[in-house]
Amino acid sequence: MITEFLTRLRFLIFRKKGSELDDELRFHLDQSIAAKVAAGLSASDARRLALIEFGGVETTREHCHRQSPAWWAGIISQDVRYAVRGILAHRWFSAAIIATLALGIGLNTMVFTLVNAVLLKPVPLPNGDRLVSVMGRNLVHDDGSLPLSYPDFQDYRTQATSFEFFEAATQEAGVLSEPGNPPQQYQLDRATAGLFSMVQTNAVLGRVLLRADEQPGAAPVIVLGYNVWQERYAGLPGIIGRQVHVGGQSATIVGVMPKDFRFPHGVDLWMPLLPTPDLAKRDNRILQCYGILKPGVTLRKAGAELDAIVKRLTSQFPQDKGRGVSVLTFQQRFNGGGIRMAFLLMLAAVGFVLLIACADVANMMLSRSLNRRREMSIRTALGASRWRIVRQLLIESVFLSTLGGFLGLGLAQGGIHWFDLATTGIRPDWIRFTMNFLVFGYFAALCVLSGVFFGMAPALRSSTTNLVDVLKEGAHSVGHSRGAWLSSSLVVFQFALTLVLLTGAGIFVRSLLDRLAVNPFIPTSQVTIARLQLPKERYKDNEARIHFFDQLLPRLCSVPGVRHAAIVSGGPGMGAGNEQIELENLPIANPAQRPWISFVAQYPGYFDTIHLPLLQGRDFNETEGTSNHEAAVLTRDAAARFWPAQNPIGKRFRLFDDKNKPTPWITVIGISGNMVQEPWENDPKPLLFVPYRQEGWDSMALVVESAVDPLQAMRKVVQSLDRDLPLSEPSRLQEAIDKQVWFLRVFGDVFLTFALIAMLMASVGIYAVIAHATNSRTQEIGVRIALGATVRNILLLVMRRGLWQVAFGLAVGLAAAFPLARVMASIPLGVLRSDPFVFCSVAFTLASVGIFACWLPARRAAGLDPVKAIRYE
Amino acid sequence: MPTSTDLLQGTLDLLILQTLALEPMHGWGIAQRIQQVSKDVLQIGQGSLYPALYRLEYKGWIKAEWGNSENNRRAKFYRLTAAGRKQLRSEVETWDRLSSAVSLILGRTVEASR
Repeated sequence: MITEFLTRLRFLIFRKKGSELDDELRFHLDQSIAAKVAAGLSASDARRLALIEFGGVETTREHCHRQSPAWWAGIISQDVRYAVRGILAHRWFSAAIIATLALGIGLNTMVFTLVNAVLLKPVPLPNGDRLVSVMGRNLVHDDGSLPLSYPDFQDYRTQATSFEFFEAATQEAGVLSEPGNPPQQYQLDRATAGLFSMVQTNAVLGRVLLRADEQPGAAPVIVLGYNVWQERYAGLPGIIGRQVHVGGQSATIVGVMPKDFRFPHGVDLWMPLLPTPDLAKRDNRILQCYGILKPGVTLRKAGAELDAIVKRLTSQFPQDKGRGVSVLTFQQRFNGGGIRMAFLLMLAAVGFVLLIACADVANMMLSRSLNRRREMSIRTALGASRWRIVRQLLIESVFLSTLGGFLGLGLAQGGIHWFDLATTGIRPDWIRFTMNFLVFGYFAALCVLSGVFFGMAPALRSSTTNLVDVLKEGAHSVGHSRGAWLSSSLVVFQFALTLVLLTGAGIFVRSLLDRLAVNPFIPTSQVTIARLQLPKERYKDNEARIHFFDQLLPRLCSVPGVRHAAIVSGGPGMGAGNEQIELENLPIANPAQRPWISFVAQYPGYFDTIHLPLLQGRDFNETEGTSNHEAAVLTRDAAARFWPAQNPIGKRFRLFDDKNKPTPWITVIGISGNMVQEPWENDPKPLLFVPYRQEGWDSMALVVESAVDPLQAMRKVVQSLDRDLPLSEPSRLQEAIDKQVWFLRVFGDVFLTFALIAMLMASVGIYAVIAHATNSRTQEIGVRIALGATVRNILLLVMRRGLWQVAFGLAVGLAAAFPLARVMASIPLGVLRSDPFVFCSVAFTLASVGIFACWLPARRAAGLDPVKAIRYE
Repeated sequence: MPTSTDLLQGTLDLLILQTLALEPMHGWGIAQRIQQVSKDVLQIGQGSLYPALYRLEYKGWIKAEWGNSENNRRAKFYRLTAAGRKQLRSEVETWDRLSSAVSLILGRTVEASR
C-alpha cells in the first residue's frame, strides 16, 4: 500500500517524458516490421501491414498518459491557469468580487471564532475538554444553577465513578486588609485542595493549597491571584509568609498563582474550605462543584450517575426533596441563555451578510456570463465538454472566493481584536478569542462553498448556450436576456435579508438610546457611586449600622468639593428591593393578589444629589423611619396608580416582605418626579422611597455629586471610621451605566455594522443589475428618445423593474422581521423593544437607498444622446 | 479503461506479471511471448499493452530500464519488482480460485442439462 502510494507520488512530482513513449512505440513497430520481413514479406509490404496492425498511435499515447496519477493535476492546473488568466483579464471586475467576498467571508470567520470561543471550544486549561460544572437542580422550576451543600459534595465525590477529580468551592466576596494598606474587596473562593491539581496548575511563587490545609485546626492560609500580587503588593517577591486579614480573620500568604489563572470563575483569592459545624449541615447550600470526567465518560452518563445518587440520597434525607443535579460544560453553565442566543443571532446575521454578498457576486457573474457567451461557444465548438466548461468556471469562482477569504482573514483578525477589547472585564476570563482548527475548517468550507454557491448558476447558464445561435448572432445584442429572472430574484432576496438585518440593528440601537435616555435629570458625569458592605461580625444589628452611617454622612458632605452626598440602598437605575403593598382601608384577603412595588431605602439628601425634583411634600427628616415615624415618598406614577385623582400626602399603606410579615403603617409625606430604577424591566413596578432607618441594611451605596474626583476623599472618610472597610465597585455613574448597557452597545455596534454592509451590498447589487440591463438596451432607449419619449417615460421604463424588486424585497423582509423581533424580545439581557417606529424607519431607509440606486442608471439613460445611442453596440 | 481487448478485465495485468516473472523483457517481447505461449490464441495489440505497462509501472509493480535488445537496439526493458512479485502471487491465487469456481459452475450446468 505504502510503496504504491510513494511510487504514485514520485510520478506525480517527476513526470514521465513524452518522448520515451514515442521511442518505445517506434521500437515496437520496427520489431514488428523486422518480424514480417523475416517471414518473407517485402520491406514496403511489411511496413504497410505493420502500420495497419499497429493502429492509432495518438489514442495509445493518450491512454498511457491517462494512467499517470499526475493526469488529473495536469487538467486541473490547466483550469487554474485559465481561471487566473480570466481573473487578471478583468482586473476591476475581479477586485470588486474579491472585496465583496472578503467582507462576507471575513465577517463570518470573525463571528464563528467568537461563537466557537463562547459556545464550543474547551476551557483553555489542561483537561479543559473534560471539565464540567456540577450544581443542584430544582426539579419543580427546572432551575439548574442551585448551590450544593458540603454533605452533598462529599456523597457525590465518594459515590460517583464518572469523575477523575471532583472538587468544590464557595463563591464569596472577601476583604483583604493589613496594617498600613487600605482594605480591598476581592472575589474569594474557599476551595477543596484538589482544585489546583484538577487543572494541573502550580503556583508561580510558593505553593497551592494542600490537603493538610483542610484539616480542622490547620493554620489558616491564603493563595493570591497574580493580579492581586501585582496591584496590591507591586509584585513583591518576598510576599510569601506575610500575615494578612481576610474578613477580620488572620491568614498567611503561601502562594501566588500564574497570570490569567482565575479558575474556576474570576477568582482573586483562594482559601481552604475548612469543615465547620455550619458547613456540615445538609441544608447549608453554598458550594459549586467542578469535576474532570474520566476519559470516555460523556456528560449525559455522568449526569445519569449523579441523578441516581441524588435519588438515593433524597429517600434518605427529606430536606433534599425536589432536588436533582445538573452537569454542564463551562460554556453551558456560564454562557447559556441570553448570551448563547445573542451569539447565535450574530452568527445568523453574519450568515445573511454572506448570502447577500454571494447574491451580489452571482449577479455580477451572471451579467458577465452574457458577455462571455461567445467565448464559451467557441470553446464548446472546439470540443470542450459541458462538464469541462462548468468545472473551469467553478474553479474560477472558487479561486476568487479563496482570494477574498484570505483577504477577509485579516479583516476577521481585526474584528476579533475589537470584540476582545470591547468585552474585556465583562466576559468570563477563560474565554479566549483565538482561532483553532475548527475555525480554519469553517473558513475553508466557507471559501469553497461560497465559490460554488455564487458560481453554480452563472456556470450552468454559460455552458447551456446554444452554440449555433450565439455564433450566428454576430455582434448584435438583443434587448432581452435570459438572466433577467434569476438576477431579479437575487435582488429581491438581497433586499429581504437586508431588511431583516436592519430591523435587528434598529431594535438594538433603539433599546440602547432608550436606556441612555433614562433619568435625564441626573448629571451622570458629576455623580460618583461606591458600595459599602458592613461585616456582620462587627456590625451586629440595625443600631450599630445606623450609628455608623449617621456618623459617615456628615463627614462625606463636608469633603471639599462635594456638593451633595447621600447613602442609598441602590444607586439610580441600579435596582431596588421588591415587596408587596396593601393600602389602608383597602384590605386584600388573598396575598397572591397584592400588587408588588419596588423600593429604595435612603438617607435624607438623596433627592438633591441626583436632582430628582420633589413635586409635592418634602424630603425625609432625621427622625423619620424610627418606630411610629414610618414614612415614604412616592414617584408621581406610583401615587397616581394607588390614589388616582386624590391627594396622596398623608395616605397610609403597609408592605409585606417575603415571609408575608406586614410592616407598620407607613405615611406618604412627599411626591417626587418619575424615575426609572430597574431599566431592564419591561413592565417596571411602582417605585417608592423609604428612610434608611426603616430598613437598616448592611450593604449600601454612597452617592456623591462633586466637580472633582472624590474617591480618595471618600475612602479616607470611610476608613477614618473603620480601618478595615473597603469601597467596592467605585465609579462615576456614567461608567456604571456604560457597564450596564455594554451588551446593547457591543451587539448594537456589531449588528449595525452588519446591516450597513448588507445595505451597501444590496444597493450596489441592484445598481449593477439595472445599469447592466440599461446598458444592453441602449439602442432601444435611443430609438424611444428619437421617437419622442420624455425624460419621465425613460426614467419609468428603466426604474420600473428595480422598483418592483425593491418593493417585493421589502414585503418579504418585513414578513421575516416580525418573528425576529419576537425572538429578540425574549433575550433576557436588557430590554429589546421593537415598535412600529423601528420597522417604519428601517423600511423607509432601505426603500430610499434602493430607489436612489435605481435612479442613478435611469438618469444616465434619460440623458442619452439618441444619435449616439442608436449606433451603440 | 478502454484497452480494446477481449481479455477479462485485470487478466492482462496478470499475464504481463507472469511473463515478466521469468526474465526482464521489452514490450514487443512480452506481446510475442504471450502470443507464443498461448499458441496464438492471445494476441496483445500495442493499444492495450502499453497503457497496461504504464499502469503497472505507476503502481510500482514493474520497473522500466533502458537497455540493449538482442539485435543491439536501444529498448525499454521491464522487470518485476518485489511488490510486483507479491502482487503476482496474490493474483494467481485469485485466478485459481475464480477459475475453479467458474469450472465448478460450468460442470454443474453441463450435468444439469444432460
